[in-house]
Parts: sequence; C-alpha cells; structure tokens
Amino acid sequence: MNSAVLNPVRLPPRHGWLHRYKRKLSVLTAYLALLLLLAVGAPRFYSSNEFKSILVNNASVLVLAVGMSLVILCRQIDISVGSQLSICGIVAGLAVRHGLPMPVAAILCILAGAMMGAINGVLIAFVNLPSIVVTLATMVILRESLRWGRSGEFVQGLPKGFQWFGFSQDAGQWVIVGLAVVVFTIFAWAMRNLSAGRTVYATGSDHEAARLAGIRPRYVTFVVFTIMGALCGLAALLNVVRFPSVDPKSGEGIEMQVIASVVVGGIAISGGRGSLIGTLVGVLLLGTIRPALPFLGSEAYWDKALQGLIILLAVASDALYERKKKQP
Amino acid sequence: MSVVNPPPPASAPSDYPPARPALLAERPLWHRVLFNQQTFLTVLLVAEIAVFSIIGTNFFTGYNALEIARQNVELGLLALALTPVIVTGGIDLSVGSLLGLCAILFGKFSRDAHFPLWFAAICTLGVGAMAGGLNAILITALRIPPLIVTLGTYSLFGGLAEGITRGTDVFDFSTRASFVFWGQGYFFGIIPAQVPILLFVAIAFWLMLHRTTIGRALIAIGFSPEGAHYAGIPVAARLSLVYILSGLMSGLAAVIYVAHVGQAKANAGTGYELLAITAVVLGGTSIFGGRGTVLGTMLGLFAIAVLQNGLMLADQPVELAKIIGGVMLIVAITGNQLLAKWAKV
Repeated sequence: MNSAVLNPVRLPPRHGWLHRYKRKLSVLTAYLALLLLLAVGAPRFYSSNEFKSILVNNASVLVLAVGMSLVILCRQIDISVGSQLSICGIVAGLAVRHGLPMPVAAILCILAGAMMGAINGVLIAFVNLPSIVVTLATMVILRESLRWGRSGEFVQGLPKGFQWFGFSQDAGQWVIVGLAVVVFTIFAWAMRNLSAGRTVYATGSDHEAARLAGIRPRYVTFVVFTIMGALCGLAALLNVVRFPSVDPKSGEGIEMQVIASVVVGGIAISGGRGSLIGTLVGVLLLGTIRPALPFLGSEAYWDKALQGLIILLAVASDALYERKKKQP
Repeated sequence: MSVVNPPPPASAPSDYPPARPALLAERPLWHRVLFNQQTFLTVLLVAEIAVFSIIGTNFFTGYNALEIARQNVELGLLALALTPVIVTGGIDLSVGSLLGLCAILFGKFSRDAHFPLWFAAICTLGVGAMAGGLNAILITALRIPPLIVTLGTYSLFGGLAEGITRGTDVFDFSTRASFVFWGQGYFFGIIPAQVPILLFVAIAFWLMLHRTTIGRALIAIGFSPEGAHYAGIPVAARLSLVYILSGLMSGLAAVIYVAHVGQAKANAGTGYELLAITAVVLGGTSIFGGRGTVLGTMLGLFAIAVLQNGLMLADQPVELAKIIGGVMLIVAITGNQLLAKWAKV
C-alpha cells in the first residue's frame, strides 16, 4: 500500500494569535521583566535620560537588523555589515566635508552601501557562492581597505549642519529614532502584505519550490543583499550624525550584535520563518542590557556574556519546544 | 556538451544507469591531480615564495621559514580543529573567544590558584574540552544549527573572559623561563619549540580524517546526516567528538599563545575564528560539508602566512596582505565551484 494513503498529509492546525506570537511574547515578557526589575531596583534608570539614549544608540542597530532579518529569512547570512557601516559613515563624512549638502551626502552614503551590498549579492546569487564565505571575505577586504586608505584617521572639521542633521540635539535625537521607526514600519508592513515580501519568505523556505511557483530566487537573493547594503548606508548615517566627527571603526563587531538580535527575535536561521516584530523586541532587549547592568549593581563587563547566554537560552527554548511538540 | 556515459546502444535495456558525475576514484590520475585545489594551492605557494624571494629582504632563509611556522602555530591548531567540523557541514565560530577564555583561566589557575604550570595547562585543556562539549550538547541533543550555537558561545566565552578580567587584568608569564620556552625557545637551537606540536597535531588529525572509520563517518555525515544515520553511523557521537576536539585544540592553542606572547589577556584570539575558517576553506574544504583534507588546510594556512610574512618583509602594509587574503578566498571558492563543474565533463 502507498505510504501517502497510510499517512495522509496533515496540515498544521490553525492557531490563535496567542500561539502565533508566542515567541515574540516570551521575548517581550523578558524585556518587560528587565524594565520592571530596573523600575524596582534602580528607578534612577528612568530619570537619568538613559532610556532615550538607548533608543538613539540602537536606532542604527534596528535599521541593520531589519536588513539582516530579510537576509536570514532568505536563508543567507551577512557578516560584512559592520565593515559596510564603517565605510558608509566615512563616505558621508567626507562628502559633507567636501562641501556637498547633507541630503546629497545622505544619498551618496546609501548608494555606497547599496553598491557594496550588490557586490555581495552578485557573488552569492549569481556566482552561487555560500553567503557566509563571501561576506566573511568582503568583511575583511572592506575593513582592511578602509584601514589602508584612512590609517584609522577620524573625519574631522565637519560643518555645523552635520551633527544631528543640523537640528538641536533634542530634535536630532528624535529625528534619528523616528527615521528608524519609519523604516522598520515600512519593512514590517511590506514583508507581511506585499507580494515582494512574500517572495523573500518563499525563497528562504524552499529555493526550488519558489522557482517552480514562478519566483526568481536568484533575483530575490540579489535584491535582498542590495537592500541590506542600502540599509547599512542609512544605519551609518543615523550612527555618525550623533557625533561631531566620524570614527572609522564605528561598525566593528556590530554584525554579531545584529545577528544576535535577529535570532533572539525568533527568525529561524534555516530561513523562511519569523517576522520583523520579533526583531524589534530582540534589538530592544539586547540593546538595553549593556546600559542597564551598571544600574543593577553589576559591572558592564558582563554584558557580552549575558548576551551570549540570552541567545543560547532563546534558541534552546525554541528547540526544546519543537521537540515537545513532535512527541505524541 | 559531452556526456559522461556513452549513449546506450539501440537494444539497451531500459534500466541503463543514468548519467552521473564520475566519482573521484574513477577519474584518471592526471584528471585527479589537475582538477584539484591542492595542486593550485601548491602552485600558488611556490609562486608566492618565488616572488617574495626577489622583492623581500631576508625572506628566503631557513630561519624565516621556521619563524613563519612559529607565528602561525595557534592559528594552525584552530584551523586543523575546524577542518573536521566543516567537513561534517558544521562550523565553530567560538574557537577564537574560547582561546581568550582559556588563556585567562590558565592565568587564573597558575597565578591565583597557585597550581603548578603543568597542572594548570591540563586544567586549561579540560576547560577547552568542556566548552567544546557545551557546543556539542546544544548541537546534537537540541539540534540547534551550529552557526547559531557557536555564535552564542562566541559571545558567551568572550564575555566571560572580559567579565573575569574586568577587561583590564593581564597575567604576566614572561618571568617563567621554563614555560616561555614552549613559545619562544628553540630545540637544537633552530627549531621553534611549538612547531613540533603543530606537526604532531596535524599528523593526528590527518590520521583521524583520512585513515580511520571515524574520518569516513565524518565525511558521510557531511554529505548527508540522515543517510549516515541510516547507514548505522552514530551521528551524534561523531559530531560531539569534532566539537569537543575543537574546544580541546582551542585550549592547547591558548597555552601555546600564552607561552608565545608571555602574557594572557581577555582579547587573545580575537578574530582568529575567521582567519582559521579562511585557511580551511582556502584549502579546498567545502563549507557545505562532505569534502575536505588536512593537507589542504595546512597549504591554505601557509598560503596566507607566507603572503603576510612576505609582504611585511617587502615593506608593504599589513592591510594589503589581508585584502589579498580575502580576494584569494573568493577566487578560491569560485575556482572550486568551476572545478567541480568542469570535473563532471
């Protein structure tokens, strides 16, 4: 007898929103618990402007994490974002110093990012190389090219219109946070409701099935990496305008934090599963830990260890839950 | 397009085997030698040596050759440990930060706990193996993808090292002459003391991967974990073995690193994971698993090491060596891809 007859295809049961958002809710609960702990143990945290500076500092991380979510949903990875971020920041700084108006510099910065992303995209989508190796190589190449070209020199002597986009500090901070939220909202909506967003999910779930359904998976992968690059440009802009000069090392090591935020937010590294809401909560949770530690009487040195622990706990609880579900 | 198998005769039975790429062993010798990444790496290495002998000062000397080997022992140990990991289709991003953690703990064991050095070294190896065991449990028992597990432990181990030292504590070993010998001394006045260790470990890994059933099992797992499982291979045990070995080698590399540099800091080994992966992939090991050799890894390691040393002696910036290394990595995997395509013809 045919095995398909013995085991008819079972569609997954339909679940309510509580079940659908289970993962996001549990990360959100962890985040709220952290905030509550701070409220009880260290109320100073809320009165000292710390909360706002967390939002401002993590605006660029959120923008990067949006791009990284797309990349991971597509079942790829990009570890060159830190190097791209540094280069884009320098491009913006140099453009402004050479007298270009701020909007032109911003466009140049985003274009530079998109170009670097497109190079990754061509190598991964069309030459068919594994993304982890390609972006490992481009990370080193871009970072070392920058070091070679600039010798670690800051871009200084920037005009007044650069820092905080020429606004007052307070308004500039809100502009940064606002831009990040707008980008996040657009992508979260598009990934859910536009067919372009769904093709990313389809490509990440099953390359071949997506192709048979009339999607061009290579093209989708290429576009996703280009978007990732463009978002690196935007994130670099949001990152560098916080300071009066541009640090050539601004992006070093940020890739791990971005990937960690995405993974904690519940996007599966195997592609095609997860949503951007989770990424937002992941960014907030990981971004709050470092500044919160001193308020909780611990030393800030432990934050990286805690970050690692949170990543492992998040993925381990996922795995345990999956295993329990499979058992009858 | 030519066809692998001759077209079936008119009266062929209908179950004539379909065309498939020839297995490595079925290909003629010249084909195996020519379409082989190791051949290209050897040519590359010889070319590098030839070029730097001309443009570099004091490059082509026995002393410099041994010095290159000394500078790369720690990296070589990590790359050797990563070879079987990547052959099984996995990855271990935590080796660099584990090196840092082990170096710190080695310092703690010997300075603060007053262990004798040999005992502190054994404890460090034990910690490394246990840390590898943590990776192994998460990967095999909970079935979490290795990339995510080791990304998490990368942060965890690095963070623990930073936390334990509060980012500043440095353990000084430069006064312990008998210990520092293992990183800075010479056997017979010429052979750097740690180079025979690398050689010994390389031979051990070569034996394991290419001359034992364990090695065959690892390659089978790399091709298809499910298939290996149905073939009766204890997949979880074999995978655990490679991750524990990877942790153990990080511990060994940490002890040698401390002897070499004379001190232990939390940021020892930063970035080593990516360099080691570069050496392994450059050596022809497929990042998707199922294909890879220890010899290739050693060639990949020295292709990078000679490039760095040669450019340094030719008064070129360090960054240039790293840029060329990155370009070489992309060219190597592109070439690998093309070779795989052509080898089918």
